[in-house]
Amino acid sequence: MARILVVDDAQFMRMRISRLLMAEGHQILEADDGSNAIAVYKSSRPDIVLMDVTMPKMDGLSALRHIREYDPQAKVVMLTALGLESVVLEAVKAGAKDFIVKPFELPRVLSTINKLML
Amino acid sequence: MNVNFLNPFIEAASEVIQSELQTAVQRGSLKFQKSAFVTNDLAVLLNLIGQVQGIVLYEMSTEMGLAIVSRVSGQAFDELDELAQSGVAEFGNVITGRATVKLAQAGFDTRISVPTLIQGKGAKISTFDFTRLIVPLQTEFGEVIIHLALRARAESEQEIERGAF
Repeated sequence: MARILVVDDAQFMRMRISRLLMAEGHQILEADDGSNAIAVYKSSRPDIVLMDVTMPKMDGLSALRHIREYDPQAKVVMLTALGLESVVLEAVKAGAKDFIVKPFELPRVLSTINKLML
Repeated sequence: MNVNFLNPFIEAASEVIQSELQTAVQRGSLKFQKSAFVTNDLAVLLNLIGQVQGIVLYEMSTEMGLAIVSRVSGQAFDELDELAQSGVAEFGNVITGRATVKLAQAGFDTRISVPTLIQGKGAKISTFDFTRLIVPLQTEFGEVIIHLALRARAESEQEIERGAF
């Protein structure tokens, strides 16, 4: 079981991902934008972060950089509709562990989580 | 409007509908429209910026919106509450994100805004000198109508932004 921080500005997407992962036995924390994600990460130190890219206030790439600066071991996976090669490269350079494009398939998300928890 | 921008959106919408709603999609007839877009029940609007710029709108009935969020979440929604609204907006976001990957593969690097959901009949959205390309997609649950008002960004504008002048 992992403690997973789900970061997405879309309430519906947070609910959907959270419900699917809780059914697999994971514990879920939520944040609705990049700056809240940083605050929740610092206060709760989740095992894994699932991070959207396009969000108001602070986007996911900026939040990824802040979290990795605070904790270079942070395991952040980008989970986004924006699967552009340039965005993937930017995320990988900033330290993202994986990049999953929406619409996502649950087995793909679970396989990534399992690999990161080894 | 450059009709080459159309296919990425039709393909992306068809793929997302098939994957998320588990149903077939049939494309209706294309048409062009210069007059303002007048809202029906629901419209998800996103801005595109970059080498392709303009707006994309996904128009649908409330029933179709509810069918989408119910199918995607596996729970029945009978009213368009805040959670359902977020789901309809996300549906447009996911299609547009996927379309931008296809646009990038065709050489147009483009970013998208967060989605805006417009509810209620009769609001007018003018796209001014952009002619809209309209394509309906039919499913067993209802129709999603894509409105595209897009154009390739002029090379000179891109050079100014890159600081070439």
